[in-house]
Amino acid sequence: MDQEQIWLDLARQGDKFAFGSLIEAYQGPVFNLAYRMLGNSGEAEEAAQEAFVRAYTRLDSYDPAHKFSTWMLSITSNYCIDVIRKRRAIMLSLDEPLPPHPALHSDKAAGPESQALMNEQQQMVQTLLQELPDDYRQTVVLRYWHELSYEEIADIMQTTVSAIKSRLFRARRMLAQTGLEMGLIQPAELAAAEMV
Amino acid sequence: MEHEEIYLLMMDALDDELPQAGWDDLETHLHTCQACAQEWYALQAIETLLRTTPAIAPPVDLLSRTLGRLPHPAYRTWVIGAVYGLLLLSGILPVVGAMILLGTVGTVLFDPAFLGGLLRSFWESLSLLPVMVSALLNLIGAFVSQQPAIVGVLLMMVGIIMVWGGVYSQLVTTTPRLASANAAA
Repeated sequence: MDQEQIWLDLARQGDKFAFGSLIEAYQGPVFNLAYRMLGNSGEAEEAAQEAFVRAYTRLDSYDPAHKFSTWMLSITSNYCIDVIRKRRAIMLSLDEPLPPHPALHSDKAAGPESQALMNEQQQMVQTLLQELPDDYRQTVVLRYWHELSYEEIADIMQTTVSAIKSRLFRARRMLAQTGLEMGLIQPAELAAAEMV
Repeated sequence: MEHEEIYLLMMDALDDELPQAGWDDLETHLHTCQACAQEWYALQAIETLLRTTPAIAPPVDLLSRTLGRLPHPAYRTWVIGAVYGLLLLSGILPVVGAMILLGTVGTVLFDPAFLGGLLRSFWESLSLLPVMVSALLNLIGAFVSQQPAIVGVLLMMVGIIMVWGGVYSQLVTTTPRLASANAAA
């Protein structure tokens, strides 16, 4: 029996510290998914906490046939979708910069220049992601930052593999088109000319 | 090749799942189609951007704050037990009370003279109802005729509240076009 299964069994018996070990193991992926979906660090933290609380109260319904990470990400993404539906105001516009996340000011940065470049890149990615429909964004985040297979993503989003491939296909094209329109990507001919 | 086929080749290439024969077909097409070449360039740029952007790290106190929100199992059990107990008592107590009441005053309640008097009182009360309604309507009519401004203001306020309530419900409850699957966890 692996360590995760031991933690789960203890957590089902009410051991909060055992569940804390699970939180520690999955807080990164859960928070990243919430942040990419919601685009706001405050809401992402609230969503991550709520996802873990829901998982804790529903441990009895967890099916060991599925990976715990998949189940956890499913709870997180469903909660994020609910938040987005309730939220009417547009979080970001092109004219408003994304509020910097505390993690972007980590002391572990190699230097101020590289940190500034990374912040800019994160902002660019988040701006592009916010242009996608929720289900496309969810697919992209699960594919690129959680490295899940099409089958695992389909399991989380409760749809078919072909639907996931179709969404990822359209999402990539939308991101490319948006990147060109926003000037985040230079047209190929301009890039080629600069190289001469 | 049709553009739809080319797009599929591009997707497989981005997933590192394109065989050599597919690469040959893709490159051949890109040399002849400016639009597809442009799109392929943009797709590669996006792919590089996404793959090189690291995940966002959670706040350092997320673990402790989440642990603080977890419900206490014993507390939950006590609360659930208390709720069930209250529900049980709320169903049993009225029955017990009614039985005691019947036992003490049953002889009076089922006395024919008492029951007849009770029914007569109820019937007389019903006959007064049209008089009461008429008096109430007269009062309302007098108020409306003597204070039309107040009535107008009240109606306007009701109308404004209904309009804003409708606007709010449209804004909040309207499902956006962006759909997503619901999963019950």
